[in-house]
Amino acid sequence: MFCKLAVRNVTRSLRDYAVYFLTLTFGVCIFYIFNSLESQWCMKMLAQSAHYIVDSILIFMDVFSVFVSVVLACLILYANTFLMKRRKRELAIYFLLGLPTGRVSLLLVLETLLIGLLALGVGILLGILLSHVLGLLTMAMFAAYPAGASFGLILSVKAMGKTVLYFGVIFLVVMLFTGVSISRARLIDLIQGGRKNEEMRERPLWQSVLTFLLGVVLLLIAYAMLLLRGFLSIDPLFFLMLALGTAGTLLFFRSLSGFLLRLVKSRKSLYYRGLNMFVLRQFNSRIHTTYVSMTVICLLLLLAIGVTACCVGLNNTIDTMTNASAPYDLTIQNYSGDVQPTDIPALLAENGFDPQKELRDSYFCALYYNDPDLSVPGQGSSDTMVALSDYNALMALQGREGLTEEALPQLRTETLVTGFSGMGAYLVVDDATAATLSVRRQIFVGNYAGDAQTTEAVLTAASESPGFYNTGSYLIATKLQIYMENMGTKILVLFMGLYLGLVFLVTAAAVLALQQLSQAADNQPRYAVLSRLGVSEGMRNQALFTQVFLSFFLPLALAVVHSIVGMTAANAVIAVVGRVDSTQSSLVTASFILVIYGAYFLATYLGSRAMLRGNS
Amino acid sequence: MEPILTVSHLQKVYGARGSRTQALTDLSFSVEEGEFTGIMGASGSGKTTLLNCVSTIDRPTGGAITVDGTDLTTLKGRALSRFRRERLGFIFQDCNLLDTLTGFENMALALTILGAAPKAVDRRVREAAGLLGLEGVLDKFPYQMSGGEQQRVAAARAILTRPALVLADEPTGALDSKSAGQLLRQLSALNREEGTTILMVTHDAFTASWCRRILFIKDGTLYRELHRGAMDRKSFFTQILGVVSMLGGDSADVL
Repeated sequence: MFCKLAVRNVTRSLRDYAVYFLTLTFGVCIFYIFNSLESQWCMKMLAQSAHYIVDSILIFMDVFSVFVSVVLACLILYANTFLMKRRKRELAIYFLLGLPTGRVSLLLVLETLLIGLLALGVGILLGILLSHVLGLLTMAMFAAYPAGASFGLILSVKAMGKTVLYFGVIFLVVMLFTGVSISRARLIDLIQGGRKNEEMRERPLWQSVLTFLLGVVLLLIAYAMLLLRGFLSIDPLFFLMLALGTAGTLLFFRSLSGFLLRLVKSRKSLYYRGLNMFVLRQFNSRIHTTYVSMTVICLLLLLAIGVTACCVGLNNTIDTMTNASAPYDLTIQNYSGDVQPTDIPALLAENGFDPQKELRDSYFCALYYNDPDLSVPGQGSSDTMVALSDYNALMALQGREGLTEEALPQLRTETLVTGFSGMGAYLVVDDATAATLSVRRQIFVGNYAGDAQTTEAVLTAASESPGFYNTGSYLIATKLQIYMENMGTKILVLFMGLYLGLVFLVTAAAVLALQQLSQAADNQPRYAVLSRLGVSEGMRNQALFTQVFLSFFLPLALAVVHSIVGMTAANAVIAVVGRVDSTQSSLVTASFILVIYGAYFLATYLGSRAMLRGNS
Repeated sequence: MEPILTVSHLQKVYGARGSRTQALTDLSFSVEEGEFTGIMGASGSGKTTLLNCVSTIDRPTGGAITVDGTDLTTLKGRALSRFRRERLGFIFQDCNLLDTLTGFENMALALTILGAAPKAVDRRVREAAGLLGLEGVLDKFPYQMSGGEQQRVAAARAILTRPALVLADEPTGALDSKSAGQLLRQLSALNREEGTTILMVTHDAFTASWCRRILFIKDGTLYRELHRGAMDRKSFFTQILGVVSMLGGDSADVL
C-alpha cells in the first residue's frame, strides 16, 4: 500500500519530478561517460602513441571526477530541496490526515529511492549509448588512419561500478537530508508554504559589504596561489586552492544581490525607474536559494571554458611539434649499421625507388659510437657521435646554420632524423676523428621531388618487395606518417576538449534553464499583479529578460574572470611543450560558448515568457 | 457634469454555443465624480463580471463602458495597459501585493510604472501612507503584515496615482471585522476628504453600509438602487439588509 502510494506519487507529480529526474539522469550520464573515457578506444590509442600528455590528462580526469561528483551532489541536493518546496502543500495534507512523521519521511525516502534507481538505470543506459556514439564519431574522424583495433560497444564495468557507488552515496545523502528536513518541518510552515517561499530579510549593508569583500579576498588568494604555484603540483595545497576559490565564488554570489540592491537603492533615480525595483527585488528574493546553484554553474562554466580553451591551445601546440619532429620528408635508419652496413640509396634503387628521380635532395651518412669517450667535461655526455661535414650537410638540408671546426667537439641537440631517433644529444667531431670511430647506425634522409602521397606509395612498394629487410634492420619514417599520427593526437585532444567543454556547458545551461523555467511558474502571480496594475507587456517582458539575463550571465562573467587566470597558469604549463596561440583558442572558445549558452538563454527567456503570458 | 463612469446596456455572455451563460443581460448606470458607490448582489448575479469589464480585465459582449470620457471597448493592447495604469486604481480581495517588495516599494511601484519623477516618489508614497496610517509597515514585507495592513497598502497603492476611479472587489472579504472597519473608515475618509471616486463590489451588508449609494444587481440587470442621503449608517445598514433579504426571498420563491 505504502509503496503503491510512493509509485503513484512519482507518476502523478511527474511534472514536478521531471526537473529532478532530468537533473539526475543527466548527472549519471555525464559521470558515466566521463569515467568510461579511460577505456574508450580513442584514449587507448592515445596511450599507445606513448605521449606523456596522456598521463597529465588522466590525472586531470581523476581530479575532475571527484570534483564533478561533488558538483553533481550539490546539484542533486539543490534539485531535491527545490522539489520539496513545491510539494509542501501535499506534505501538509499527509500530516493533516494524521500520518506520523516517520511514515511521511519513509514515503519520501521511498520516492527518492525509486526515482534514483530509475535515473541511475536510464542515465547509465544513455551514457553507454552516448559514449558509443562518441566512439563512432571518433572512428569517422580517423577514417584515413589505420585504427588497428576492432571497435565494439564499450561497456566499462569500472566506470559503471564507480557511477553506481558515487551516486549511491549521493542518493543516501539526499535521502538523509530529506528525512531530516521532514522530521524538522512544522505543519504551519508546510501549509503556508505557498505563501512565503523565502525569508526576505534585508541584511545590513556592512554585512553584505563584508561578505562581498571576504569573497573577493578569498578569490584573490586562490588566484595568487594558482599563478604562483602553477597547475601541475597536485597536493593538499592544490585542493586548498580549489576550496578557497569555491568558497570565494560562493560568498561573492551570496552577497552580490544584497550589495547591488543597497547600491541601487541609494541612487533613487535608478531605483525608482520603471520596474527596476521589482527586478532587483526579484533577484534578491531568490538569491538565498540560488547562490549555491549560481556558484555551481559558475564553476561548471569555468570547467567548460578552461577545458575547451586549453585543448584548443594544446591542439595548436601539437602542430608545432609535428614540424619539430619531422625535419625531412623521409628518413631511413639502418639500426644494424655497425654489423651489417648497407648502401641505402643503392638498396632503394634496386627495389624500384630511385633516389635520383624521386628525391629533390638527400643525404646518406653514418653515426658513430662514442668509443673511446670523447665527451668534453662540463658539456654532458652522449653515446652518439656525428662527423662535422655530415652534421653541416644535414643542417643545410633543414635550412639551418652549421658549425665550424674551431668549436669542436661540441654537444648538440638538433633533430637529425625524421621520426624516432633514440638519441637526445650527440657529439659533433671533426671528420678526421670521425673516420677513426666505428659506425653505430646509418641514416639516409631526403625530401621528395614530387607529390608526397604518390612518392610515398612508391617507397612503400619498394620497402615491401621481398628481401628488402634481409640486408639490415631498417626504420622508415616519413613526415606524412608522423603528420598523420600527430593529426590523430591533435583531433583527439581537440575532440576531448570540445566534448568535455560541451558537457559542462550544456549541464550548466540546462540547470539554469530548468531553474529559470520553474521560477517562471512561481513568478506567474507576480507578473499577473503587474499586468493588473497596468504594466504593459513590453515592460513586463523587459523585466523578465533582465531577470533571466542576470541569472545566465552573472555566473558566466565570473567564470570568464576565473578562466582568464586559470588560462594564464595553464599556459605556463603548456608553454613547456610549445607556445599556445591564446588569441585563437580564446576566440574559438568564446564563439563556441556564446552560441550554445546564448541558445539556451534565448530558449529559456522565450519559454518563461510563454508561461507568463499564458496565465496572466 | 459628465459622470466619471457610464455603463450602458452592458452585456456579457460566457461560454460557447453549447453552454451559454448570460452573466450580464442589460445593465445601465452611471457614477458621478466623488461618489462612493457600492454594488451588491448574490453570488452569480454578475457583479464580479461587471467589475472585470470596468477594470478592462475582461471584454463585454455588448454595450458600452465609458470612463472619464474614454470608451473602454475601443481600447486595445498597449492603450489598454496605459489606460489601466493611469486612470484606474485597484483594491482586490486577495490584496495582490508583490511578496518580494516591501510595503513602501509596493506603493512606489504604482508610481514608477507610470514613469513618475524619482524625486517625487518618496514624498507621494509617504503622503499616501500617512493618509491610511501605514507609517509603521513601510519597511515590512507583505508576509510580515496583518491582513488589514496588507489591504490598506493595496488601497494606498490604488489612490497614489490619483486615478479617476478606484475599483474595489470585496476589499474586506479576507479581513476580520475590526480591520474591515478600519479599512472602510479610511476609504470613506479618502472619498470625503480627497474626493476619490470609489466603486466597491461586496456581498456584505456591513461593508456596503459605508457607501453613499448602493446598486443591487440581480440576474445580470439592475434590481434596485439605494441612496444613503442624510441617513446614519445604522439605519442605512437596516435598509440594505431589507433589500438583501428581498433578493434572497425572491430566489427562495423560485425554488
